[in-house]
Amino acid sequence: MSDTPAISVRGLTKAFGDFTAVDGINFDVPRGEVFGFLGPNGSGKTTTIRMLTGTLRPKSGSADVLGEDVVRHPDKVQRRIGYMSQKFSLFEDMTVDENLRFYAGVYDLPPEKFASQREYVLNMADLVGRENELTRNLSVGWRQRLALGAATIHEPELLFLDEPTSGVDPVARRQFWDLLYDLASRGVTLFVTTHYMDEAAHCNRLAFIYRGRIIAEGSPGEIRADHMEQRIFDITTSRVDPALQWLETAPGVDEAYLSGASLHAVVPADSPFSNARLRDRLAAAGFADAEVEEVDPTIEDVFVNLVSRQR
Amino acid sequence: MRQALIRVGAIVRKEFRHLGRDPRMLLAVVITPVIQLLLFAYAISFDVDHVPTLVIDFDNSPASERYLQQYEASPFFDVVAHGTSLAEVDTAFDDNTARVAIIVPSGFSRTLASDATAQVSVLVDGSEPNAAKISQAYSVALNQLYGQQLTREWADAQGLDLSSFGLLEPRIRTWYNPERRSSDFLIPGLMVVILAIVTVQQTAVTLVRERDLGTQEQLEVSPMRRIELMVGKLLPWTLIAFLDVALITGLGRTLFDVPLRGDFWALAVGAALFVFASLGMGLLISAIAPSLDTANIMAMLIAFLPSFLLSGFAFALDQIPVFLQWISYAFPARYMVSISRGVFLKGAGFAEVWPELVSLAVYALVMLVISSVMYGRRSSR
Repeated sequence: MSDTPAISVRGLTKAFGDFTAVDGINFDVPRGEVFGFLGPNGSGKTTTIRMLTGTLRPKSGSADVLGEDVVRHPDKVQRRIGYMSQKFSLFEDMTVDENLRFYAGVYDLPPEKFASQREYVLNMADLVGRENELTRNLSVGWRQRLALGAATIHEPELLFLDEPTSGVDPVARRQFWDLLYDLASRGVTLFVTTHYMDEAAHCNRLAFIYRGRIIAEGSPGEIRADHMEQRIFDITTSRVDPALQWLETAPGVDEAYLSGASLHAVVPADSPFSNARLRDRLAAAGFADAEVEEVDPTIEDVFVNLVSRQR
Repeated sequence: MRQALIRVGAIVRKEFRHLGRDPRMLLAVVITPVIQLLLFAYAISFDVDHVPTLVIDFDNSPASERYLQQYEASPFFDVVAHGTSLAEVDTAFDDNTARVAIIVPSGFSRTLASDATAQVSVLVDGSEPNAAKISQAYSVALNQLYGQQLTREWADAQGLDLSSFGLLEPRIRTWYNPERRSSDFLIPGLMVVILAIVTVQQTAVTLVRERDLGTQEQLEVSPMRRIELMVGKLLPWTLIAFLDVALITGLGRTLFDVPLRGDFWALAVGAALFVFASLGMGLLISAIAPSLDTANIMAMLIAFLPSFLLSGFAFALDQIPVFLQWISYAFPARYMVSISRGVFLKGAGFAEVWPELVSLAVYALVMLVISSVMYGRRSSR
């Protein structure tokens, strides 16, 4: 039973009128993995989650979740999965304890089960002693952890997280990922969507979805190796905007884009460019302070590259 | 089944928590009805008596004097002035010192003596239509009374004993509400308005809020079925609606002596059906409305206004334009007002109000079916 994948999707398609939101996607999520589902807004991430949680009927294709056909029998699956959205779904006018109690009631947990789960969640979210505080008085990071606790109060085998870290500061995001690892170490399969590319590196496996289609799938290392034939130079300069404009039209540069505070320039694998030669060209173009360093492609580089190839 | 009950219970408990945490909401559903009741019953009175009256006697005969004494003696009219010219009527109406003017033309007694029909002008200030209509009715009644009195005097003069015929004993009666107290009339209607507001508005708003919070999305992936969520959401409002019925009935009975003459159970069944119809409307609004504000306005438009204006509460239904009368059939409030007044004032029971009960039952059924379908469709997209 537990050698069947946590999720197995074949030819899954959903159309809203003329618009095909999800277009015949295939993928498997092995049990116990942290699976990252990446893509820009509107690419079909949430639609996929809604089909996998049994709240949206696909137009065609199959979706097995925890060995059950979720399209036909969502009720067999729903008790065994958890879901956490970026909205956190907490009642702000209720206390920490009341929120947990409510979700325990939604999953009709027996009282003794609730008592032990409550204990676990309060410890996990570091909310011991704050049980009677109104949720609206908690800061975003605490609310996020409480939402995770509420979403796992019934000990799901598989947890869907839809953009769980959007709007949360980097420190809290870091702590949140520690909690996710903790869940994963207890055998829970995690299906996480995000548009933070740095978070992709936290996942065991990734799938990129773009315009309803999966355009890359594999471990972060595989994806970098398989989809990045080009080389990347990281460029820092005080005059970012004009430098970007110059790079975009410079001969021998396939692509240029902002990456954090610096610029990334993509060149073909057989490009004659080295750090020194690119720096000389930049200096000649008037960017005397430019520093250039060739870097390994990040997941973000791969993704930008994949998307530009689709266009 | 036991699990379903636990899930519904979780929703119900949560709804009451929201209510307890939000003083405005509590105010809206419990305190507001009481305030409305007091306001309507004390401050806004449709009672008509002691209408300031101007009398002008151009005849100056014993007969005209006796006729005008009828008005002096009546509790409905207060003769505030005796005028001598028609121009004074305008002045008195403009100053609001009088609302009714009685003008006895010269030749009044002569006409009566010749057995012809005497004419008296009754001018009524129509700027307050309700009072005007009633004053007019009273004046006509007084004239009849006076006519009968004259007949009796004529009979006396002829030596006939009319009391043996028992024909001319004058009686004026207002049925069902003998003292014409407006609180008797208002409170049974007010109950309907309050029920409509509490049920339609609050259900619409709580359901839309759930969607906005994203908690509905969360519940959809849980084992909770949609019907359990609906029952859990609607149950608290049903309870509160009944609390309001009890509150209004209690206050009406104790504070305003509103009679409860009919079958209480007919009223209870009617109220239950009306509440279900209203919950259906609330559900429908929540399925259609894109935002909380829209939901509020829609609830106002299809719950409050029709139950206030098109139910017979504020205006008698046979006195509004015909097309509005037709529209009024499309809202449940008119049936409920009719049941409520029937039971409170006319002593009605199931035998009398069953047509309205059936209308409400059909209405409730149709509403709940349509709204459940719409609600389901909306959330599956």
